Parts: sequence; structure tokens; C-alpha cells
Amino acid sequence: MGETTTLYRAKKIQATPSQFYQPGEILIKNGKIRAIGNSVKIPNDCKIIEWRNSEIYPGLISPGSSLGLAEINALRATRDLSEVGTHTPAIEGWVAVNPDSELIPVARANGITHSLIIPMGGMISGTSGLLQLHGWGIEEMVIKKQVALHLWWPGHGLSIPQPSLKSKTKPKSIAEQDKERIKRITEINEYFDQAIAYQKLKRSGDQSFVLIPSWEAMIPIVEGKVPIMIHADESRQIKAAVQWAQKRGYQIVLSGARDSWKHADWLAENKIPVIFRHIFSAPPHRSSPHDYYFKAPGILARAGVPLSIGLPLGGWATANQRNLPYHAAHGVAHGFSREKALASITIEPAKACGIDQRLGTLEKGKEATFIRTSGDLLDMRISVLGMVMQGDEVSLESRHTRLNLRYLNRPKL
Amino acid sequence: MISSTRAFLFIGLCFCLLKPLYPKTEYPYPGDRPSGITLHAFVGGNIQVTPEKKIKGGTLIIRDGKIEAVGKNLKIPDGCREWNCTNQTIYAGFIDPYLLSGTENPKFLELNHDEHVHATADLSFHGLPSTGQDPGEKGPGFEVSGVHPQRKLMDGLQAEEKKWGELRKFGFTSAHLVPSEGIFRGTGPFVLLSDQEPNELILKNEVSQIIAFDPVGKNSSPPVYPVSLMGVLSVIRQSILETKYANERVRFEIKNQVNLRFMPHIGIQALSRSLGERKSMPIWIEPGSCLMNAKAMEIAKEFELNNPVIIATGDEWRNPEISLSPHHDYILPMIFPTIPDLPNPEDWEQVSLDQLRAWDHAPSMARLLNEMTRTISFTTSETEPGEFHKNLLQSIARGLPENSALASLTTNPAQICGVDKICGTLEATKLANFFIVAGETYFTENPKIESTWIQGRPFFHYPDNGVTDSNSTQKIKEQTSKLAQHPSQLNKPVLRPTSVLFSGFKLWTCENESILLDHDILIENGKISKIGPKLKNDMPKGCQVILGKGRHLTPGIIDCHSHAMILGRVNESTLPSTAMVRIADVVNSESVNIERQLAGGVTICNLLHGSSNPIGGQNAVIKLRLGESPNKLIFKKAPKGIKFALGENVKQANWGDKYTTRFPQSRMGVKMFFQNRFGAAIVYEKKLKNAAVKGLPFRRNLELDAILEIIRGKRFIHCHSYRQDEILVFLRTMEGFGVRVGSLQHVLEGYKVADEISRHGAGASTFSDWWAYKFEVYDAIPYAGAIMHERGCVVSFNSDSPDHARRLNLEAAKAVKYGGLSEMEALKFVTLNPAKQLGIDPWVGSLQVGKDADIAIWSGNPLDYRSRCVQTWVDGVLFHEIEALAKRDKNRADERLSLVTKAQKSLKKDNSIEPSEKAKSKFFHYSLESACDLYPHSCRSNENHAHCLHQ
Repeated sequence: MGETTTLYRAKKIQATPSQFYQPGEILIKNGKIRAIGNSVKIPNDCKIIEWRNSEIYPGLISPGSSLGLAEINALRATRDLSEVGTHTPAIEGWVAVNPDSELIPVARANGITHSLIIPMGGMISGTSGLLQLHGWGIEEMVIKKQVALHLWWPGHGLSIPQPSLKSKTKPKSIAEQDKERIKRITEINEYFDQAIAYQKLKRSGDQSFVLIPSWEAMIPIVEGKVPIMIHADESRQIKAAVQWAQKRGYQIVLSGARDSWKHADWLAENKIPVIFRHIFSAPPHRSSPHDYYFKAPGILARAGVPLSIGLPLGGWATANQRNLPYHAAHGVAHGFSREKALASITIEPAKACGIDQRLGTLEKGKEATFIRTSGDLLDMRISVLGMVMQGDEVSLESRHTRLNLRYLNRPKL
Repeated sequence: MISSTRAFLFIGLCFCLLKPLYPKTEYPYPGDRPSGITLHAFVGGNIQVTPEKKIKGGTLIIRDGKIEAVGKNLKIPDGCREWNCTNQTIYAGFIDPYLLSGTENPKFLELNHDEHVHATADLSFHGLPSTGQDPGEKGPGFEVSGVHPQRKLMDGLQAEEKKWGELRKFGFTSAHLVPSEGIFRGTGPFVLLSDQEPNELILKNEVSQIIAFDPVGKNSSPPVYPVSLMGVLSVIRQSILETKYANERVRFEIKNQVNLRFMPHIGIQALSRSLGERKSMPIWIEPGSCLMNAKAMEIAKEFELNNPVIIATGDEWRNPEISLSPHHDYILPMIFPTIPDLPNPEDWEQVSLDQLRAWDHAPSMARLLNEMTRTISFTTSETEPGEFHKNLLQSIARGLPENSALASLTTNPAQICGVDKICGTLEATKLANFFIVAGETYFTENPKIESTWIQGRPFFHYPDNGVTDSNSTQKIKEQTSKLAQHPSQLNKPVLRPTSVLFSGFKLWTCENESILLDHDILIENGKISKIGPKLKNDMPKGCQVILGKGRHLTPGIIDCHSHAMILGRVNESTLPSTAMVRIADVVNSESVNIERQLAGGVTICNLLHGSSNPIGGQNAVIKLRLGESPNKLIFKKAPKGIKFALGENVKQANWGDKYTTRFPQSRMGVKMFFQNRFGAAIVYEKKLKNAAVKGLPFRRNLELDAILEIIRGKRFIHCHSYRQDEILVFLRTMEGFGVRVGSLQHVLEGYKVADEISRHGAGASTFSDWWAYKFEVYDAIPYAGAIMHERGCVVSFNSDSPDHARRLNLEAAKAVKYGGLSEMEALKFVTLNPAKQLGIDPWVGSLQVGKDADIAIWSGNPLDYRSRCVQTWVDGVLFHEIEALAKRDKNRADERLSLVTKAQKSLKKDNSIEPSEKAKSKFFHYSLESACDLYPHSCRSNENHAHCLHQ
């Protein structure tokens, strides 16, 4: 982190989603923002950097990916994104990140400065950590370890499978399936109750206490110190999950949240943060409008739901994290304001990760992590020209820029 | 009794009426219970002689199993056993023309879009009979899985007393038993539903050759050709061609007195009876889906078959216009989906309009078919007789006339089975097949059938299912009317003007000039007729005017790589070369993706086979003319094409450790494989020429036909490719055969060999920025499009996904971002350039006088995320308009809501008959046309690599 004071001057600085300075100046020291405005007071021996025709935005935060956990999704040897077991709260996502993954600089090159690294597999898959997408090793890169526990809410769908010749088992009746989904929620309750019992026993100092890592990992959760990110898409799941959390008094973030827009007012009323990952999903039914999910962010934001936009989770989306701004941008033609779209990839995910005191906007006292663009960040035609992370300029070179240069310079045949 | 071998020689004449049919023996053995006498008179009842003719208080006389006389005031012969039929009605015995048999639990073909399976094909390359092996069917005959036209269900015939007894209780007396396995399934006999020994049952040894569009190969382990619907259609074509060739060759050799003549195998012998001039064995087709009905009729025409009887699915409401024909007879199953009792209100969100429509249309299908086809017949297959009866009544309540219902159960099936001389009515000389019901009519909730007579032998029914007299007179319950719409009612063009002037737009012509501000463009008869700054004075009479108000107008977007409107599997993944399969056979005109992609400005899609084999199937370039039939979607001027593929997919690299035996397994082998098939095609061509010169019969091979077209420059290759080495080797290999490649698809490392691609003259159709989803795309870079463009390649960005196809304009914008192309050049990546790659640029791809009026209108700059496509025109017809679409969406939402309400109400009132498992599960079954929309057909949005073979 530079000891010197540096001033960046730009055509426009988007300090927060609603506030911009045009022109703008931003003064940084020791990795922090000292001042920001149209024109700030410049101390002596200040280094001045002119980004005259550029715009400055806060670094973009991906609210969930497998960056560093999956390199080439088709190759099993390069996948570390999910683990065996249905309840593995002690699993931590950040510990298996390959800091030299080629995918990380590629994401960074389009302005993604941070990503939440979410472990997958089973119903309780473990805890996520927030990673800064630059650094020599994972300890340097991880800036918050236990961001949330990940609970993948059980499915609530009903089906009558075709009775097939091959399988001898009779398909389950709808009544049976209904019973099962109630049972699954009971089982989740029981798991959390057991964790509470463990915590009580531990506190009591009773000699029967044995330390078990899985239950240890649950203690900060049941104590409410770490929120729960619940992955749920369908209305039925979302309602059940939110009601469950309210009953138990847990702080949650909804992730996936495909049908959340149908309950926008209710979610806003209950102040449930939502990470919407389905803007490009196929509409659920053939009869659903083509823009069914394009409209969703606008509906959620207008209702007042704290809204982040993310990519779908899993291996295939890992290489495409650089397109995060375009997932947010796509809602804009469909009723999502540009301001909310910007918030959904900066300050909102920072809040969802509990790190908004440090990241998410460009304000005095916050971390000097921002990007330089040639124009509107949400526009696909612009380029990201530079990045400053904790006050230091970071390279935007990647496998892609290297290969581009190499073959641009191939002599013509 | 005629033996089966003799019967084989007397095809078509095999009625077994030569010997006394009843009694069984002239004189009973001691200990046998003697049969009753064979002379009966039924007196005083109503007699429904034919569906139209009813005699009140008539007499029916039968002797020796046949009807002797029927009428009013007949003289009753002496010695007659008299039956008092007062207050009873006599009906001709019902006939089931399609009683599925042959396996323990036979089922209708239900085409669906089930999970992909992969194959280790050890077959000959093209699914033709091979030497040495016996790959498909065991034993002699065609050596392709499921092709066994020689099979006769009669061979193992046994009375199925349990099932047939139930049918008799509802008045059925005879049936055509049909085989239920395979593509060419063979024949089944027409039988009496009696309890006698097999010889006594058969009225006709064979009725028809049954063909089903069944991708049977997927049932094998490992799967074999064909696993896809398009594969099935190719198998049908090739099998018919094989048969035609064999017959020609036999005739040729007889004429030329060849010694040791060619002997067609038993499969060909059997199939020959349905072809040629005699056509003694009719063909019936079970297509398995609404759109495939049309395909069945088409194939019949293609090969000059007699109009086949079509086995309907009950899904014909999706597109009655093309799936029903007044020139064909239809058989309709009576399986109605049942509304499930869903526990929570939210559960209804899961229920789609499509499912509700299928449920609501079901009772109206009989009437619809009755009105739109030559004849319909009903089958009880896969229904319980009680359920069948209930559904029949519902169909009548929805407007099927009672006499039509009767005809569908008697005279129509008799006629299509070729037994109308002996069955179907109660006229003299016909078989004494009938049943007697209490009261005036059979069409009541619980008809009380007293007895069923088969060939003059009675089966008495006792009211064992709680039938009471009061029930038997109950009238048909009034049913609710149909609410569901036909999709075609909504999928209509918004506007179809003969001429239209777009005035004051920003025109992106995608020609040499930059964006033309405040310009006009005049469309006449579907073509661009003028472009200029002010064309008001050029307007013809009645010309529509659309004002630009600063909006942008571009050519329609062309997607050079799509799988979004394909029925069944996108991959015939079994054989390494499937050049014979045709996407054009399986275009899904009912796909919702047409509407959704029009809403993104797309007007043309290149529908491609997947990439699971080095030589894939033939492509289809379609125009998104929403609401038109599959054949009318096809862009007829587009040059023919074919999908090829290289690399990981074709060597099965990501299919799992089991798949290591199909050739090729390495990129070395891929090259050799092409040389092999092209070499084979050249030899084939020589034979073809030789045959033509000498007038010899020629054995056509649909695989080599297609490859030969490539060599002759009449079919463009669109080759899935990734790595620079494989791209180069492929281009060189093709150059060796004098072939110019149409387009390299994906071509993610094309930027490394851009000069070579440019020199060869292949187009490069790539992704904007996808990479790293598998090893061979680790070096993919988003700058690739720009680099290839700068070095002279014709570059396009394609979707390869129904999602991306909705926003290809924004994908194009990335060519500005990565590599700094001008906005017009970037837009050409999704307009003019793909048109060039497909060879359709003389007609589409840019705004030029004389070209087709395929146009998209945008609220702002099409490369800006804030813009939306507001109108899409194809051939001067407005198919997408943003407000019209919103209205359509609202209509559908309203329709769905009213159907949900109706469904919920129906649950409360109706619980009379417990629906069969089949009826319950049918509600959850997706028809082929709708199921195909549930799969994204792209690796890029799916975790399961099994879905991604085309990528």
C-alpha cells in the first residue's frame, strides 16, 4: 500500500449509485479514500494521475462464484467446487481457491474486484469467503472468511413420474410427496436444534462434551453472528425459507431467488436481501412472456428489496464472471433503473457480504478500490482501462490479453 | 383352417370363412360339454343395424355364427331359440382397430425429449446392412435396430381372457392386435375377442404393416442407431429404398436371366408387400406426436405409399391444420389427462398453460378429428374399459354426434381393418357379433349390457360392478364447454401489408455506408423496393406508413448456430457419420423459441445437428415465420448444408471412461475418418455413374448421397471446431477433395490461423466471449472475432443457445469492446456475415433494394443495453410487435387463470371413476413439441455436460 498520497482525476466519478462527480477527483492514501468530489484539496507532494477521458466506478463485487475452485469445468481434475455430504458446515470455500487460476485475471479485466466464493454440494454446503481478485496467495486475497453459511433449500416441486417398465418402484403419490416436503423442513429444524443443544452442552462444561468440528462450525450460525444464505428459486421454497428464518430469528440472504419478484413487497417489508441470479434463465413455462425474468430486477428494486445481481452458481458460470455488469444492465431496458443496476453489483453485494463499511462505494474512509472505464460501465461497448485495489494499481493483463497480443503480431501469411 | 404359411401366400385373401366356424367340431367327443344350438332369434328390441339405421321393435335372426336376417316383422324360423328383447337395444359388436399387444405392458409411442444417451457404435457407419456382424436385429432381415417388418404377432397368438373379458363387458367383440415394439413393427392379426383356442380367433392373419417413429436404439445398452427422431426418419427412408432396390434388382436379374439370382431377405420380402404397384399390405403409422402426423403423411407421399392410417396422440389440438387431413383415416386413443389434486395453492404455479390446455382439449379431440379427417376410430389401448366409456361420453357431451361415435366403434374400424364385409354392422351375412344393452341407448353413464355375442356365441354379463337400474337410465351429464385455445389462434402475424413505408429511421444498412440518418425504406410484396431520404412520393396506393421517430432500423438478425427449434434429440450420437439424418425432418414450428427470438430481432436461424460425431446431420435454415408449418418455416433458397465436428466431442473425450472404442478416439483418427467417408463417396459415385450408363439397378445410400453432394459443391459444411491444428488439418483435408468449407463453427482458436482460414475462404462463426468450459477452449479469447475480421475472414457471432439468441445484438456489441470494431461492422457479425456464411446473402442480411424485407426496429441504438427490439418483420410481414406481444402474453395469462379455476372446480365435483395411473401421469407428460423447449441445448447454461454434445 502506497504511503504517498495520490490524486486521480477523471471525467466522471460514480461515487455511489446515486451520486457522481463530473469532473471528479479522488484522493487516496494508505489504501483509503481521503477525499472525493468535483475538486478536492490537494496536499503537497501528492502524485497526480490524469484519467481525463475516463470514468471511475467502485470495484464490482460478484455475490457468488466458483472462481479459483473450477478451472475447466469439463475436467474433473480442475474442479474443487463441491464436496460430498449433505451437512458440511465446516467446509470453507476460500481454502481451495487457486490464486493463479487463469480465470481470475480475466474476471478482473472487466472490473470485477471481488467475488464471494461459495462452496457447493449437499443441503448445508459450508461457509463462503469474500475474495479480492488480486494477490500473491489466498491468505492475502481473502478479506472476509465466514461471510455466510449456505443452505440449499429442499425442492418443493411435485411430480408424477411415468410408471416405467424398468423401475419396479411405484411412483410416489402427490399426498406422499406433500408429506415429504414437510418432513424435510422438520429435518432442517432438527439439525439446527441439535446445533443449539451442542452449543449449550459446550457452555455447560459437562464432561460428556466432545468437540465436533461440524457442530463447532454451526455455533456462530445459531448465535446469529454469521448470516445464512438460503438458495431457493421457487415461490414455495422462498416462502417456506423466509418463514422458517423468521420463526427462528435468523438473518438471511436469499440467493437464486428466481420467483422472488412475485413476492417483492413481502420481501421488502421483511427486509430480506435478495441475490437474483436468473435474468437470463428461460421463462418457466412456454406461456410465460419472453421478458419474464428481464423484468424481475426492476420489480424487486422498485418494491425496495435490497437487491444484488449475480450469475448462476456452478462451474459453467465461473469463466463468465466478467459479464456481471451485463447481467445487471439487461434489466435496465425492462424497468430496472440504472442507479439500482449499479447498486446491485457494488454496494448491495457489499452489504449482503457485510463489508459495506469498507467496499461498495467511493466515499471518504472507504477502501480505495475502483476501476477506470472508457464510458458507462453497463455499456457493452466500453473498455475497462485500469484498476486500483487498496490504493495500488493492478494489472489488467490476462491470458486473453496475452494471446491477443501474440496473435495480433503474427506476421501476415 | 388355413395354415399360416399358406396364408402368407394368399395375402389379402385370408379370411377364414371357408370352414364352418361354429360349432367347433361336428360332433362332440364323449365328456365334452356340447355347445348350444346355433339358431337364434332376438325379438322385440331396438336394433341399431348401422350407425345411421335403427329399427324399433325389430327382429334379428342368426344362424351358424352369421346374421341370417334383420328387420321388422320377420318370420321366425322353426326351431329357433327365441330371445325376448323388449326394452333392450342391440348394437353391432364394437371393434378395436389398434389393440396394443405383443409385450406384457404395451404402450403407445410417446415421443419426448428425454435425456441424452451416448453410444459406442460398433455398427457399420451408415446403418446399412453390414457384412460379418449382426448388429441391429438378431437373425436375418434388416440389420438396423427396430426394423423387423417380417414379424407377425399372429405367430404367438393366445387369447388374453382377462383383458378381453373386460372389453366384452363393454360391447367389444373383435380387435386388430398390433405389435408395440420397433420402427417397422410387423403385422398383427384381426381377431375375435373370444375365449377359444387361437385358430378359432383369427379372422385375418395380417391387417397392416405398423410403423412407429420410435427411437428404439436408446433402449439398447449401449445405445445404437437410431436414438433420435431424425434418425428414425432416416431409417424409414433407407429401409424403403433398400426394398425398392432389391425388387428392382430381382426384376432386372429375372429379365436378364441371371443364374444364382439375388435373394431379398425376409425383411425386404415383408416390406415389399407395402410398396410398388400392388401395395397389398397397407401401412399404418404411429407418429407419436402432433407434428409427426404431418411428417408421416409426407413420407407416404415421398414414397408413393397408400395413404396410411394415422394413430393420433390426442395432442392434435396443437396444430390441427397440419396434423389432421381429410385424406387419412385416424385412430384416436381415449386417454384423457387427469387434473391432480394439488395440496397448496402455490403448487398451481407449477402447472403450465400447456398442461391445462391438453387437459381441457382432450374431450374435444374426437369431435375435432371427426370433423377434420376422413374417418376416425377409437382404441381402448392403455385405458380401462370403464374409463374409455366415461371419456367417450365426455366426447359426445363436447359435440361428437352419437352416430359418429358409433361409426368410430364399428363401421370405421371395420373398414380400415379390411373386415367391413364381415364386421361392423348387423346386416345379413355378416358375423353375428353384437351386444344387447338394457334400455334405449348404450350412451349412458352405466350402460347395463346383458350379453355380448361373438360369432353367435353368447357371453352373459352379470351386474358385478354395482350397476343398478336407476343408473342405467341416467342421461349423459352436461359437461363444461371448452375454454382452452389452439396455439394457432394466438400465433398470428400482427400485420401483413402489401406495402409499407418506414419513414424517418436511422438505417443500419450493413452495406458500405455508415448509419443513414432520417432515411426511408419502402417495402413492397415482401421485398425492399426503395431506400432513400424521402420516399413519400413513391408510396403505392394503400401503403402503410410507420414513422421512425428517431428509432433505429436494421436487417433482421441471423443466428448461424442454433438448436432451438428441433424436435427430439439434437444429436444422433450413435454413428460416427450420420450424414443421412435431416434437421428439416424435425423442425419444431410449435417452439416458443420462435416467438422469443423474434422478440430479440432474430429473423433467420441455422438449425444444426449436434457435434457428437465427425459427420453430423443435414442442417435446416429457417425463417421465423411464427405460426407457419415446419415446411413453410424452411428458407427454401438457402443452399443445403451439413454439420461436421472435430475435437473433444467427436472423440468422446468428455463422455466418461466407458467410451473408448468408437472410431475416432483422437484427432489423428478424425482426419482419417473424413478421408474414409469421402473416399467411400467417390467409389459410390463411380458405381452410380456405371449403373446409370448400363441401366443397372442402383442401391442408394443416403449417407453417401449427402457426402457426394458436398464433394460436388452442392452442400456446405458447417464444421464445429476449436483448436488451431484441427482447423488447419480439416481445411487441408477438405481441400484435398476440392471442397471449400462453408463455415467453421465456434472456431475459438481461429484467431491463431486467421490467414489460413481467410485464404481457404471459410466463414468463421464464433461466440462473443465464451471460453474455458472445456480444455480445447482454454485459449479462446474475446478478441478472436476482431482478429479474424481484420485478417479478412467473414466473421459472425452465433447463439448456440435459446437464451443468447434473444440478445444477439448485445453479443455483437462485444466486438466493439474487444478489438475496437466499428458499430456497423459489429452489427454485421449478426446480420450480413452469417448470411454470407450460409450463402443466403443475395436475399437477406443487409438492407438493399431487392432483398427480402427481414427487418428489426429498435427503440435506440441496437448495441446499447437500454434499447429494445420493438418490431420484427419477416418477408414484409410483422411478426413481432412489442405491444401486440404484451397483449398476447396477457391473453395467455388470462386463459391460464380461467383454466386453473376450472380445473380446481372440476376436482371438487368429479370423483366417480378413479383414473388410471396412465391418465394421472399423462397430465405430467410433456408432448414432444413442448418438451423440446424445456432443454436449453447449450453447455453454457447447463451443468450437465451430457446435454452439451453440440457445443
